Amino acid sequence: MIWAGYLPGIADDAVDWQTLSFDRGGSPVEISVPSLSQEQIAALSDRVRAAAREKLKTLPVTRIVNIVDAAIARLLDRNDPYRQRMEELLPVITGYDAEMVRLGLTEYLKTFRKPQLTRFLAEDFPNPACLDDFQPLAKGGFAKAHGPDLLLHVWAGNVPGLPLWSFVSGLLVKAGAIGKVPSAEPLFASLFAQLLAEIEPEIADCFAVVWWKGGDPDSEMAFLKEADTVIAYGGNEALTALRQNLPVTTRFLAHGHKVSFGLVSKNALDTKKAPETARKVAWDIVRYDQQGCYSPHMFFVERGARVSPRDFARYVASELAAFQHRFPNRALSIAEAGDVAAWRQAEEMRLLSNAGSELMSDPDGAWSVVYDDSAETLAPSGLNRTIRIAAVDTLEDAIPAISPFKPFLQTVGIAAAPEELFSHSALLGEAGVTRISALGRMTAPEAGWHHDGRFSLLDLVTLTEIEATAETAAESLAPYAD
Amino acid sequence: MTQDEIVKALLAFIADEDESDDAFNEMALALFAYQVAHNEPYKRFCRQRGRTARTVRRWQDIPAVPISAFKDLTLSCCDPDEAARVFMTSGTTQEGVRGKSFHPTLEVYDASMIANFRDRFVPDLDRIRMGILFPDELAMRNSSLAHYLALAKEHFGTPDSHYLLTDDGVDQLRLLTELALAETSGEPYALLGASYSFVHLMDEMAAMGESAALPEGSRILDTGGFKGQSRELEPDEFYNRLSSFFGVPRESCINMYGMTELSTQFYDWGNETCPSVKSGPHWIRTRAVNPLTGEDVPEGEVGVLAHCDLAHFNIVTTILTEDAGVEVEDGFLLLGRADGAEAQGCSMAVAEFLKAAGG
Repeated sequence: MIWAGYLPGIADDAVDWQTLSFDRGGSPVEISVPSLSQEQIAALSDRVRAAAREKLKTLPVTRIVNIVDAAIARLLDRNDPYRQRMEELLPVITGYDAEMVRLGLTEYLKTFRKPQLTRFLAEDFPNPACLDDFQPLAKGGFAKAHGPDLLLHVWAGNVPGLPLWSFVSGLLVKAGAIGKVPSAEPLFASLFAQLLAEIEPEIADCFAVVWWKGGDPDSEMAFLKEADTVIAYGGNEALTALRQNLPVTTRFLAHGHKVSFGLVSKNALDTKKAPETARKVAWDIVRYDQQGCYSPHMFFVERGARVSPRDFARYVASELAAFQHRFPNRALSIAEAGDVAAWRQAEEMRLLSNAGSELMSDPDGAWSVVYDDSAETLAPSGLNRTIRIAAVDTLEDAIPAISPFKPFLQTVGIAAAPEELFSHSALLGEAGVTRISALGRMTAPEAGWHHDGRFSLLDLVTLTEIEATAETAAESLAPYAD
Repeated sequence: MTQDEIVKALLAFIADEDESDDAFNEMALALFAYQVAHNEPYKRFCRQRGRTARTVRRWQDIPAVPISAFKDLTLSCCDPDEAARVFMTSGTTQEGVRGKSFHPTLEVYDASMIANFRDRFVPDLDRIRMGILFPDELAMRNSSLAHYLALAKEHFGTPDSHYLLTDDGVDQLRLLTELALAETSGEPYALLGASYSFVHLMDEMAAMGESAALPEGSRILDTGGFKGQSRELEPDEFYNRLSSFFGVPRESCINMYGMTELSTQFYDWGNETCPSVKSGPHWIRTRAVNPLTGEDVPEGEVGVLAHCDLAHFNIVTTILTEDAGVEVEDGFLLLGRADGAEAQGCSMAVAEFLKAAGG
C-alpha cells in the first residue's frame, strides 16, 4: 500500500483513508489518499497558517530558494529514493511510458534549480527583496509584498509534476499552503512535500497535501472557507462550481482547460528541413499523449513549399509510427478509447463526403492524423495522439480560424523565419495566444514562463505601501527632529 | 443474390434450428457481399477501413458501423424512397438529427420478432391478455418499438388486449380497471411498455395509493431505459417497485434490449438479479470490443457492444453501439452507456471544445 498526502500534526491512524486503484497495464497499484473530517480540516488549516506566519514568513526568500533547490537536486539524482519512487510509480499511475516519464521529469525539474528560481523571482519582482522587507519604490515611499496566509491549490490532471509550478510559487511568496492532489495522479505533490519537510524540518508544518473526492461539497466548502487565495486547475464547469462557493473576498486564480496548436511556415518545408520539422511536431503530440494544456490539437501548414501540407501530414504520420515504438502510448480505458473512437468515427463520416481530406491512422488505433485541404476553424483533436493538419495559403489564414476561441487559447508552436515569427506573433497575441514556442518545445515551458499570460508570483501577493507622505511626516516626529 | 433471394434465405434461416458457427458465418458473409454491392456509402465506409467482400472471411471482420453514422449516412440497399417502412431513432441527440433504418419489406423483421418473442416472453402460452403502455403504430409510424408492440398484440395478445396510453399519458382509469379485471379473472396478464412509462405509472399509482396483485403467470416487459423521460432508477429499485406495485415476481419482469438500428431483439430471463444476462436468437451475435481497434476485449473485461444481426439485411448487419457490456456464458451483461471519460489532463476535450465553440 502506498500512502499519498502530507498532513502535519495529524496522526495517520486518525485519518479515514480512501483507496484509489490504478491499473494501466503492467502491475496494478493502490494508493491511499486521506479524507479529512471537518474538524481535521479546520485544525490543519490553523496549524499551517500559524507555522507559515511563525517560520516561513520570517525566512529570507533566498533561503527558500535554497531549500527548493536542494529538494530539486535530490529529485534530479536518479539514485535518490524519492526520485526512484517517482520513476517507479508515476508510469503505473498515469500509464505514460516509463522512459518518457523519466526524460520528462529531468527536463522539467531542471527548470526549478536555483538560477531558474532566481530568474523566476526577477521576472515578477524588480527587487525580490520586497518579499523580505520594505524596499524603496521609484515613485517614492516603500513597499513590501505579502503572500497569502493560506493558499489553497486545487490541482488537476495526470501530467507528472504539474503541481510543482504553483507549489513552488506559493513557497517563494511565503504562503502557508494546502494543496489538493487530483485523483488521476495523487503522488508527485505528496512526495515533494515529504521531501521538503525532510530537507528543512523547520518549515515542515507550513504546507500540507490533501485529497477530497472531486465535487464532495462538504470537504470542498471546508477548505475553501479557510483559504484567502485559491489557485485552481480544471475544466470550466469544475472551476465555475468552485468560484460559486468562494467568499467574494477570496482571491481566485483559475487555470481552465486550454487549447493549443501549431503553425508551420513554408520556410520549414523544404525537402531538407521538412522531416525534422515533422519529427518535432510528432514529439509535441506524443509527449504525455496531448493531455497538457500546451499540447497541440491542430497544425496549420502553409502551402507553397517543395513539401506540400498533405505530404507533411504523411511525414508526421510516419514519425508518430516511429515514436510508437520508442514511447508507446498510454493504455486507454474503454471510456477513453470510446472518446477517441468517437472522434475518429466522426472524422471518417466527414471524410466520406469530403474528397480533399484524408485519414491516416495506426491499425491498432495508437495514433491518427487527419489531413484537411482547408482550415475553416480550429477544431479539436480526440487527444491521445490524434491530430488534425490543415493546409492554409498563408499562415495569417489561421487567425480567423482561431479567433472564436480567444478565452481558451494558450500555446502556439511555430516554425517560421524571424520576420514571420514577429509579424505572426503580433496577430496571435491579439487573438488571445499567451505563449509562443519552438516546435518540439510546446510541452516544455521555460523557467519563469507566464502561465496563461499571468504573473505566477505577482498574482499571489498583496503589497503594503508606505507612502512618501508617511515617511516625511515621520521625520517630524523623530527624537532628533529640530 | 437478389433481395427476394435474401429474404427467402433469411426466413428459412430464422425458421431453421441450425445454430452452428458455420451457418451463421456463411449467411453473414453473403449479406456483407450483398450490402457492399448495393449500398454505396457502406462500400466507401468499408474501403476506408480497408475491408472488401474479398478480404472479409469471418463475420467478426465485417466493419461495424457506429450507430452515430446512421445519422450521417443513408444506409440502404434498396432505394430509400421505395422503402415500405422507415424506422427512426427518437432523435434526442445531435440537434434532432434522427438515425434511419430503411425496410423494403417487414417480412424478415416480423419473422424475427415473432419467433424470438414467442421463445422469450410467452413460451408457455399461445396468447395472453396485454396492456400496452406505448402509443400505437398509427400514432408513431416511424417507431420500431410501436411496430414491435403492435406485432406482440396482434400475434400473442388476446382480443381484449388494450393500449393504455392516451395523448395525456397513461389512461389511469382504464389501467386500474384492467388490473382489477385481471385480478378477479385469475388469468395471467402482461404489461408491456417503455421503462420510463412504468416509472410515471408507478408514481401516479403511489400518489393514488393503488397497487395490484396480478394472478400467477402474469408478466411485465419493459424496454429502452429512462432516456431522460423520467427520473433514473437503479435497476434493483426499478424491479423491486414493479414487483411490489403489480405483484409480479422479479423473475417474471423481462427487459427487452432493442434498437432502431437492428431487426432483432435481446431479452433476459427475468430480473431476479441485476444486471441480468441478455441473449438473442441464433441469427444475431454479439461481441464486446475495444471501440478504437474493433478487436474483442480480453475475456471478462468490459467493452463496447457490437452486434451482427442477420435480419437487418437491407441496412448493415453489423453495428457498433454506444453501450458498455461484458460477455458472459450464455450472453452478455449490459452495463449502461459507454461514453464520457473523465478528463485526465488539462487539455480541452472535444465535448468541452464544442460547448466553447457554441458560446
